[in-house]
Amino acid sequence: MLDAILAPLTETYFQKALIGGSIVAVVAGVVGCLVVLRRMAFLGDALSHAMIAGVAGGYLVMKMLFGYEAHAPGMLLGSLIAAIATVALISFVSRVSRIKEDTTIGIMYTGIFALGVVAVSIFRHYIHIDLMHFIMGDILGVADTDLWVSAFTAVVVLSIIILFFRHFQLATFDPVMAASIGLPVLFLDYVLTTCVSLVVVSAVSMVGVILVVGLLITPAATAYLLSDRLDRMMILSGIFGVTSVVGGLFLCVWLDSAGGGAIMLFCTLQFLVVLALAPKYGLLARWLRLKRMVPQQVVEDVLTTILRNEGVTPLETIRTYVQEPAKSLNKALQRMVQDGLLAASEEGYALTADGQVEADKVLRAHRLWESYLAQIGTPKDQLHSTAHHLEHIREGETIEYLDEKLGHPRRDPHGRLIP
Amino acid sequence: MTTDHPTAANHKKRANAIDVEHLTVSYHARAALLDVSVSIEPDQLVGVIGPNGAGKSTFIKAILGFVKPDIGSVLINGRNVQRVKGQVAYVPQRGSVDWDFPITVQEVALMGRYQKIPWYTSPRKRDRQAAVEALEMVRMADFADRQIGELSGGQQQRVFLARALAQGSEILLLDEPFAGVDAATERAILDVLGRAKEVGKTLVVVHHDLATAGEYFDKLLLIKQRLYAYGPPEAVLEEELLSKVYEGRLRIFSDLTKRGEG
Ligand SMILES: Nc1ncnc2c1ncn2[C@@H]1O[C@H](COP(=O)(O)OP(=O)(O)OP(=O)(O)O)[C@@H](O)[C@H]1O
Ligand SMILES: [Mg+2]
Repeated sequence: MLDAILAPLTETYFQKALIGGSIVAVVAGVVGCLVVLRRMAFLGDALSHAMIAGVAGGYLVMKMLFGYEAHAPGMLLGSLIAAIATVALISFVSRVSRIKEDTTIGIMYTGIFALGVVAVSIFRHYIHIDLMHFIMGDILGVADTDLWVSAFTAVVVLSIIILFFRHFQLATFDPVMAASIGLPVLFLDYVLTTCVSLVVVSAVSMVGVILVVGLLITPAATAYLLSDRLDRMMILSGIFGVTSVVGGLFLCVWLDSAGGGAIMLFCTLQFLVVLALAPKYGLLARWLRLKRMVPQQVVEDVLTTILRNEGVTPLETIRTYVQEPAKSLNKALQRMVQDGLLAASEEGYALTADGQVEADKVLRAHRLWESYLAQIGTPKDQLHSTAHHLEHIREGETIEYLDEKLGHPRRDPHGRLIP
Repeated sequence: MTTDHPTAANHKKRANAIDVEHLTVSYHARAALLDVSVSIEPDQLVGVIGPNGAGKSTFIKAILGFVKPDIGSVLINGRNVQRVKGQVAYVPQRGSVDWDFPITVQEVALMGRYQKIPWYTSPRKRDRQAAVEALEMVRMADFADRQIGELSGGQQQRVFLARALAQGSEILLLDEPFAGVDAATERAILDVLGRAKEVGKTLVVVHHDLATAGEYFDKLLLIKQRLYAYGPPEAVLEEELLSKVYEGRLRIFSDLTKRGEG
């Protein structure tokens, strides 16, 4: 077991993959938070697909003009230009035509991706780009230049995000206020888009065109389920990015599978686990909350029972009047004590001040409904039971409506005071 | 009707808080606001009324300098809005806020101070202090660590009000602060607005309920693409004027004013 963990660590290729992958994953995670919150996920996809045209272009230009073979900086510059051109085209087309942005993104990125694929295959004698490598990524074959490029990208992008954290936060949350206090909202958009492009470009060589967007948004979405503050979400997201890379790489070695695929698989599983178990926004927590919920009707019945009983009411009395299985009644009582509606003591339960207010509201509803029922000619013996059912209906202005319609009665049909 | 510009002599002494001149704003060739001119004096509680889609929010955003006018200008204390930054605080319309955003009550209030924090430092003690004070003013300090989605509608409005107060601006714009809050909260918010007015602030509030508009505000501004009226409530809440602006929906209005008939 220990050997299975330690053995890969001694291999250079594995170390490089770990370091390079982690660097990329941290930045992708941090930037991804803004991408997720601004609903720009599609953009990541568009950028990664556009890259292939840029790489081919950069390769060709450098080779034709300067005779460099596979000149990395040239290809990098090409990808960035292609990425930014794609974004510009997308916003241009969706602005001047009636075609909506999501459709435009779809058209542009597939179009530019296709251009790249065609270019690579036409010039296959001049340029040697492995399309498969591009599409699937090759994290186990990370070259030193890739490492340097991604480290540089990481430092630049992280510095920008950390230094201008408040700017990005406010421009994302409330662009109107951001503009009103003088933040350059549009410029910040451009900066963010450039950062996303940089991250995408450095991540494609590791996980490939198709999976890049996952590395950008899945850790961020995972963190989103766990935090209520943007700074913490970013930190968590970076951590989830790294755990995905580490977990995925081991998975890949043990299963002898594709590196990029294993990383994204691990990342997705991680998301699913958090989705199920997150303490506040998880599915399990939601289910438990639903289960713990006490029906409003039971609460109201308990309140009026105690109110009518005046003072401390023993459990037996409550049990006789509120027809509810013992278990769920106990749960309701417990919950009401927690919520400050009831005070529990040796002899039984009493209303707190808040409980009294609530109980009065229900009683008022009950007696007004009773008066109303009497007025519309309901037989006297049915008054109470029908009103008992109706007293729970008192949303909005229902009760005021009844009160007005009945001419603000002071007493109900049985002669009791209406609170 | 629009108020006349003050004579040159007293212009210096008492500039208008907001001067809107021949303002036209369009989205895709459709004018949301057309040739709106109005001057709002300082120290006023002004209600902006008009039907859905009348351009009320657009009007607010133009005063904030967020939407660029096609023509016309907005002056804040006599200076072009594009040049003065942060003199106008703003409470957004409920529907335009992402309530799932990972941010706490405390952090929202702190945003009011962002303009005063240099970009290279983190919020200082006095910034946090100001945020807490603003939250106390709207009685939301107890909820400081809650995520903003976990509050009731009225509490959410109060948090954004705290943000606007923390900003310390002389002019406050509120886009439907009373939408979806109960009567007690409405009173509480109105109280805070009244106190802000007493210390010399100018407040412009988008309001939907014509029945209470007359009671709440010093002046009303009736807008539907164009400015239909600006003046004291009695002058604006005119049957004829309202029927022109609200068209078929006026019946709802007469129901509201004759409350009590059922
Ligand atoms: N970002 C936008 N893009 C395109 N059209 C817009 C945009 N914002 C507003 N509009 C249009 O401009 C007009 C005025 O909108 P605005 O939001 O100012 O109205 P409003 O009076 O605030 O309405 P409501 O009472 O519903 O809040 C509407 O017809 C609306 O459809
Ligand atoms: Mg609006």
